Amino acid sequence: MIKNSILVVVFLITTNSFAQFYKTYDWKETPEIHQLSKEEQKEPSVGILKKHVVEYAKSMFGDLLKVYETDHTITRVNNDKGIAKHNTVYIPMYEVINVLDIKARTINAEGKVTVLNKDNIKEVKNVDEYGDFKIFAIEGVEKNSEIEVLYTVEKEYDMHGQQNIQGEYPIREAQFLFITGDANAQIKAYRTESKFESVTINNTIGKLLTIKNIPAMVEEEYSTPDANKIAVAYQCFPKEQNITQEMFWSNVVNNVGPQFFPEEPITVVTDDLPNVTSGKTNLSVFEKANLLDDYIKTNFTIVKNNNAELSDVNYILKNKSASTFGILKAYAQYLKALDIKYEIVITANRYLKKFDPDFFNPNQLQEFLIYLPTEEKYIATDRLEYRVGEAPFNILGNYGLYITDSLEYYFSKIVQTDPNFSSINRVMDITFDEELQSATLKQSQEYTGHWSATSRAILNFYPEQSIKEYEDYLTGSGIEDKVVESYEALNTELLQLEYNKPFKTSSTITSESLLEEVGDSYLFQIGKVIGTQSELYQETKRVNPIEMQYPNQYDYTITIHIPKGYTAEGLEELNIDKSYKSVKGNKLCKFESSYKVEGNKVIITIQEFYKSNEYDLNRYEEFREVINAASDFNKTAILLKAIE
Amino acid sequence: MKNIVVFTLLFPFLMFSQNFSGEDFIYLKRHEHIDIKLNKGNFDITKSFSEQGKFLTANKLYFANESIGFDGFSAIEDIKAYTYLPEENKKIEVDYIETKRAFDNGIFYSDQESKTFTFPAVKAGAEIHLEYKEIVKDPRFLGLFRFGTFVPTESTKLSIEFPKNVSIGYIDFNTQDYPINFKEEIKGNNKTYTWTVNNMKGFQGEAQSESVLYYLPHIILYIKNYEDNGKTNNILNDVNDLYQWYSTLVDSIDENNLEKVHAVAKDITKSISSKREKAEAIFNWVQDNITYVAFEDGLGGFIPRSASSVCDKRYGDCKDMANLLYEMLNHVGIESYRTWIGTRDRPYSYWEVPTPIVDNHMINTVIIENDTIFLDATDSYVPFGMPSAFTQTKEALLGIDKDSFKVIKVPVQDMDKSVSEIHSIITLEDDLVKVDETRSLTGYEKVDFISDYTYKKGDKTEEEYLNTTLAIGNNKTNYINITKTNFDNKNTPLVLKYNLNIDSYAKSVANKTFINLDIDRTLSQSKIDIEDRKFSKKIDHKFKKKFVTTFKIPEGYRSIDIPEELVYDNEKFGFKISYSKEGNVITQHKLIYVNTLSVDNSEFETWNDFIQSLTRAYKKSITIERI
Repeated sequence: MIKNSILVVVFLITTNSFAQFYKTYDWKETPEIHQLSKEEQKEPSVGILKKHVVEYAKSMFGDLLKVYETDHTITRVNNDKGIAKHNTVYIPMYEVINVLDIKARTINAEGKVTVLNKDNIKEVKNVDEYGDFKIFAIEGVEKNSEIEVLYTVEKEYDMHGQQNIQGEYPIREAQFLFITGDANAQIKAYRTESKFESVTINNTIGKLLTIKNIPAMVEEEYSTPDANKIAVAYQCFPKEQNITQEMFWSNVVNNVGPQFFPEEPITVVTDDLPNVTSGKTNLSVFEKANLLDDYIKTNFTIVKNNNAELSDVNYILKNKSASTFGILKAYAQYLKALDIKYEIVITANRYLKKFDPDFFNPNQLQEFLIYLPTEEKYIATDRLEYRVGEAPFNILGNYGLYITDSLEYYFSKIVQTDPNFSSINRVMDITFDEELQSATLKQSQEYTGHWSATSRAILNFYPEQSIKEYEDYLTGSGIEDKVVESYEALNTELLQLEYNKPFKTSSTITSESLLEEVGDSYLFQIGKVIGTQSELYQETKRVNPIEMQYPNQYDYTITIHIPKGYTAEGLEELNIDKSYKSVKGNKLCKFESSYKVEGNKVIITIQEFYKSNEYDLNRYEEFREVINAASDFNKTAILLKAIE
Repeated sequence: MKNIVVFTLLFPFLMFSQNFSGEDFIYLKRHEHIDIKLNKGNFDITKSFSEQGKFLTANKLYFANESIGFDGFSAIEDIKAYTYLPEENKKIEVDYIETKRAFDNGIFYSDQESKTFTFPAVKAGAEIHLEYKEIVKDPRFLGLFRFGTFVPTESTKLSIEFPKNVSIGYIDFNTQDYPINFKEEIKGNNKTYTWTVNNMKGFQGEAQSESVLYYLPHIILYIKNYEDNGKTNNILNDVNDLYQWYSTLVDSIDENNLEKVHAVAKDITKSISSKREKAEAIFNWVQDNITYVAFEDGLGGFIPRSASSVCDKRYGDCKDMANLLYEMLNHVGIESYRTWIGTRDRPYSYWEVPTPIVDNHMINTVIIENDTIFLDATDSYVPFGMPSAFTQTKEALLGIDKDSFKVIKVPVQDMDKSVSEIHSIITLEDDLVKVDETRSLTGYEKVDFISDYTYKKGDKTEEEYLNTTLAIGNNKTNYINITKTNFDNKNTPLVLKYNLNIDSYAKSVANKTFINLDIDRTLSQSKIDIEDRKFSKKIDHKFKKKFVTTFKIPEGYRSIDIPEELVYDNEKFGFKISYSKEGNVITQHKLIYVNTLSVDNSEFETWNDFIQSLTRAYKKSITIERI
């Protein structure tokens, strides 16, 4: 009896002083179906409520912090697509210590409620790189139902966290509630005008961000939608600690940095150097670095699993296997041995995350590069298709944390140093057979920069079908009946000792469909010879800022040999001039085509370039005009008119 | 004599250098040995695998990533794996193996797991060695063996050793062009079958081709029966045994609380008197209300979940929907059967392959007034009366009762059932082409349009989606006033209407304007690359496209000439395009048909002939001249 009462007392105390939010939060006893506006009815699904709660609470004993996360969503599904998007739920178990509750229910249009049978929640262990999950399918969903899911998990204490607020579907009301009591906490919201308000929840201080009517994040051409969602990032640490952003960054640099800058290389590495340089001496820094890059990419493998040893330098050098993090240590050893000055760059894929130097969030430390300051070039350590050059395009434009060999750090935007890195140069000669049934296109092309990296990657790494498709592209896409008479590719090897050596092709194709009979004359679909060009559509207002893959330039010279007995007419439409100018008047991107007639030849010159990979969203229409100009050219045709 | 010996010695070498030069990775060896032991009516089955691969270049080091799959019916044991570096004569063991799961797009929950690891220190010249055992827990799942794989293999061997009183069946596919050796040996109480083949080429898939099982040389093994004291005990002797097993699985379906299901069936059909309409109403209800969510969990992957729970939860996989239909249909007096079937990806017959490998799908079959109708509710948009497109030509195994079954072939659906009719009125305003178009789609043409629109449109606007998929005119075609009617799973045609403005399409030079009436160029990109193409071309369904296009000659113009009639007529595919002129209106009639589900390699030339004729026909423009 006495024992029992003590238990009761303890229990009472804990509930009183540590009444965590989730214990008092619940869904409405009876759900109700919400009225949708006409616009909302057109959507596959609509988020009625998307609420996420993060609570840092003191544990019962001592000041150790615990983390509770509650997620509550109500989502209306209007059609099959909406159902398919929301009828399966995956709850990641990363850092989760306890699942406190998971519940879900559905209310259909007639008001019938179906509650999830918890026995149907399945556990899935060690999924790919993502860890464990609890998964379940929502029960009782029909068109026009509302799905409600509410769960709370207790997580390991982590000072940092982040949460996406925006979805791929519109949300009426989203809330992020951040409860931290008297702990030290900071939170930052991204890409929203809404502000946090201070709230008191169960006598504990918190901050609440409420955002109403969030539009759906949509996939658009030249954009990074996943990285553009409204999101929050936060930090929380015990009240006696006061950690600044600088301290977080220094901490990373001091922890990680020394591992990347060995005092002396290990003997196996110095012994291995002749294999890297093939015994050559008098190599430039670029040549050494390039040979090393190739050596590691052809002798080491990056492994993605949970083996902790993949970050251990001795293990890596013995097994020639490393994690994406560990491979830097191998590079560091060899760079040191080759006496090459380098810096380590930690950043993020700009398609997934915009790196924020002002707010420390370990989630943005996803990608690693090595920077060679003397060369102003990068090594993309986990990208097999790149050799020493510019940063990979999925990183270009993001900020990065640069760590120097003296373990100092700075932030810099990762930019392309060589403005003309990526280009395509084409020279084309077009002739016709005597009957004017078919055209012959003789073409030589040069690809540099990212274009050449991609080309080499496809030809070297991809399966036959993809290579076939790529060769189709290289010999002229969109010419439906073309016959490839000859095709040759040069400089296909990934390792090129010369910096930015072009990948080259030469090909000859014939096509009948390019010529259309019109009486005794012929229409020649000249535009089609440049291949299918993408057209930017915009029926709705553009959402995402404009981000291209990378700056690049196209230079084409097309010579048409007019057959005897014919003249070329309708050439005027070959003149196109569209551009987007900077405030100072420089052309930042353009499409220009023009022609001249020399004897029986029509010579067309095209220049198209994009000097930057980022353009102002407010000037989207101008950008679109340049992009679509190539597509306009693609529609041009000239008349080969019989001389009477 | 001597010469011949030298020649045979040289021959493999020549074959080797021919086959494998230009390869990045090859298998030196892929051997599988199946050991079957019988102990008082229980089978112990162990498969032992022994593989060696070699990196000829450093291009495809990703072959160092190994993944060995298993599920509730199998276990993986004794993995020994290492990398061997011949130059250094060094062996580096694999020291880390993880058990992993993966999320599959098509299957929500699966008990499929894998042992994954990466061979260390691979580079050009490195060899990888792998040995492991797979314990087969059910004698019905001996599986299949592929004589070829993604890359070439020098030595391929399959052997199976079993007690003499066990009878093993086997059937091979696509092996006719390869010199596969077969050997039968008897040692003591055991028999061994061995198949070997050297220098097998690699097999890589192709776009728009049949599934790999149509061309990859492979063999399916199964235990037919065993004798015990003069009595023969069947395992999978023929399709009867397979059905007997399926029948025991059906016995374990939970049939509780069916009242609810029956009530729904009654309610849906209460105002309908004809059986056919009742069946249609029930089928449409399941299509509309049960969402496809697939589970694969041991035997649970074979036994339908109770109809009442599927009805409550509103989701299920193929067998759940088939069983729900079974309960609902029979309750309202419609003769209906649970039906096992393989999709077109599996080129097998129940009569030849009496193992669970033969099928991968379950549907329902109803018989109404001697009419057999296949119902596949996993296809949410297929109209009642048509099977799902991917089950055409396949054998359906109907469970009649506990002991009897019927095998019926799902008929290929006639091309007249899947028709797109396109009516276009084209006018010219200055140089802008304006079109008023109506598309009416039936059968699989309708099904495909609706499924693609529902699941593949993504974030594209309707205008952009139609522009990129229908590809009418050019990619600057502007769509306005789009309407869709009968966007459903009913037998009524889907009607799609819109107006088009096509910029930069008509071409004017001096006083002449050229306009091509083939704004829709169906099939123009379907030429087969005969030189490189290896496998037959797959067509999802037979279809017809009928176009009627009228062009109103603008005032102040006259037409100079109109193209002649063009015809390509073949039993399997063809077209007919004709033009006529009446007053100031030119009308084009165009019919395109594909009356086959597959174009074999021997028909490639004919097919290309057809496509070339068609693209030539598409080139014919109309010229009008200012008066």
